Amino acid sequence: MSLGASGHSLKGRLLAFLLAAVLLVTLMLAATSYRGALREADAMFDHYLQQTANSLRGAAPLGIAPEAFDSGDGFELYIQIWGPDGVQLYRSARSALPPRAVLGFSDVRVEGSRYRVYSVQNRFQTVQIAQDMDAREARARAMAWRATWPLALMAPLLMLAVAWVIRRSLAPVQRMRRQVASRAADDLSPLETQGLPDEVRPLVQELNLLFDRVQRAFEAQKSFVADAAHELRSPLTALKLQAHALGRADRTGDEATREAAVQRLNQGIDRAIALVEQMLVLARQEAQAGQGQPAQPVDLQALVRDGITAVLPQAQARGIDLGVLEGDPVVVPGHPDSLAVLLRNLLDNAIKYSPAQGQVDVGLHQQGSVASLVVEDSGPGIPEAERTRVLDRFYRVPDAPARGSGLGLAIVKTIADQHGATLLLGASERLGGLRVELQFRAAT
Amino acid sequence: MRLLLVEDDPMIGETLLDVLRAEHYAVDWVKDGEVADMALRAQQYDLVLLDLGLPRRDGLEVLRQLRARRQQMPVLVATARDAVEDRVAGLDAGADDYVLKPYDIDELLARIRALIRRHAGAIEPVFSHHGVALNPATREATRDGVPVSLSAREWAVLEPLLARPGVLFSRAQLEEKMFSWKDEVSSNAVEVYIHGVRKKLGSELIQTVRGLGYMVPKE
Repeated sequence: MSLGASGHSLKGRLLAFLLAAVLLVTLMLAATSYRGALREADAMFDHYLQQTANSLRGAAPLGIAPEAFDSGDGFELYIQIWGPDGVQLYRSARSALPPRAVLGFSDVRVEGSRYRVYSVQNRFQTVQIAQDMDAREARARAMAWRATWPLALMAPLLMLAVAWVIRRSLAPVQRMRRQVASRAADDLSPLETQGLPDEVRPLVQELNLLFDRVQRAFEAQKSFVADAAHELRSPLTALKLQAHALGRADRTGDEATREAAVQRLNQGIDRAIALVEQMLVLARQEAQAGQGQPAQPVDLQALVRDGITAVLPQAQARGIDLGVLEGDPVVVPGHPDSLAVLLRNLLDNAIKYSPAQGQVDVGLHQQGSVASLVVEDSGPGIPEAERTRVLDRFYRVPDAPARGSGLGLAIVKTIADQHGATLLLGASERLGGLRVELQFRAAT
Repeated sequence: MRLLLVEDDPMIGETLLDVLRAEHYAVDWVKDGEVADMALRAQQYDLVLLDLGLPRRDGLEVLRQLRARRQQMPVLVATARDAVEDRVAGLDAGADDYVLKPYDIDELLARIRALIRRHAGAIEPVFSHHGVALNPATREATRDGVPVSLSAREWAVLEPLLARPGVLFSRAQLEEKMFSWKDEVSSNAVEVYIHGVRKKLGSELIQTVRGLGYMVPKE
């Protein structure tokens, strides 16, 4: 999520648009103000012409000194006065104006120069007064510019203010970005939400929730890997020792010792394989639980039949009486493969921990909307104090007659959770061993 | 030399027991922390090979209690717990050495020999006295440089005596070092093997202190 690279920076956009707007508004403002100032100057000069003409109207024109109308910067007035008979009574210096003019205001062009002319007439005389248009316009522009330049100064100030406000408003986002960027790869601690604007806070809160979930998955994974590595060390140590013992037996040449060593090594390999397989099953089940595949109706009766068929040789080899006690037809929503793994683990456990010539019973029944799968055995059972701990990965009951991977019941628990089923461990009243009951919500 | 093997994994335990016995150690094997503690209270061992992840009582706890009782026997921790803090905790609890599973068996045996040797106060890897030398690593015995063949029991009775010259061992103490719980011990076993050693290495090496026991005199 790069802010800059995609060309979609909030700050950049705000800055560009707002600064463009400030610039545009300033330009428009300057333009109208300039034009307004020009118009006003125009009106003012006209008024001045009129005033001057009126003041000259009644006065004895001959006494007027021409320099009185010359401001010295070329902004001079050209005056002609005629008597009632049309005789020119007065003419200011350097006037190139035509001898007659229309009454009121008019624009006149003489020898390439433009003049603004005002004429007024009374009974005694006609007064014509004129101004050089170029000089007048230069003066007006100067006045208009004086009215406009503060705006030109204000615009950059306004822009700076806008930039500052934007930067300040987005500072929490920047801070957040830096906070995230400077993190170690495995740092999933929540981000600081204090001082964040309302628009950003929900996003950060969601992010924190996500971090939390990822963190937990991460930790579960890490602890599983650590546990697995730790658990693999025992069978590997055994293998190493057994291989060493085999090598020694080879050297001493005692056939019986050699055979025993080979047998032990094979047992060690079988055990390592079984452990790795159980780890894979558990990892797969845990991964599946996260995927949320849709459940389908599973016929537990068929599942039990298949499961018992699969482990029957195992049971017969130890003379264990394995059978179904109650076999109600039960259908539950679930994942058939996972449920087969669950049943297989329960049956394996029951057979492994039952003494030779023991008994293992499987029961299926339905009461209302609750369907139960029960596996009972005649083994030593699990002491009440241990019953929650045996569901932990790699936990083994001390003094158990057989040594398993420590994963069987953890797998059962994972699959039960995945199906929303309740797992109950208890003592079997009939057989004296462990009684495992799984309660499902039956399919309707 | 009498060893206590504390290991809850039956496969590791069985094989290790065979390997250690083949090295002529008298080995007792216990499978949980409680029994290990009981064994350590009842018996003086020359070395304890201790796993940490034990049922009933953790190996570290067993070790701490052993040291709290001021029992000095060397303890070699052999465990799958590989984190540095575990190793530090193990050594701080009183372990003399720490090996990680899966370990190399030859290395484990060498460490066992080194710990026993160091505990006996010897620096050289060979116990040697009065021209008689025992090399626990190679199981070779020599007298004035000439190899002598000793039976496992003869070795077992001579090694503790030669390891600590000047120290008097009672017959019962020597029996303890030679035999584990499972061995059938006849009442005159020690005398029989001492006699065998004297025949091979000369009668002056091991002195009998009547009514008390045996010793190898200091040079």
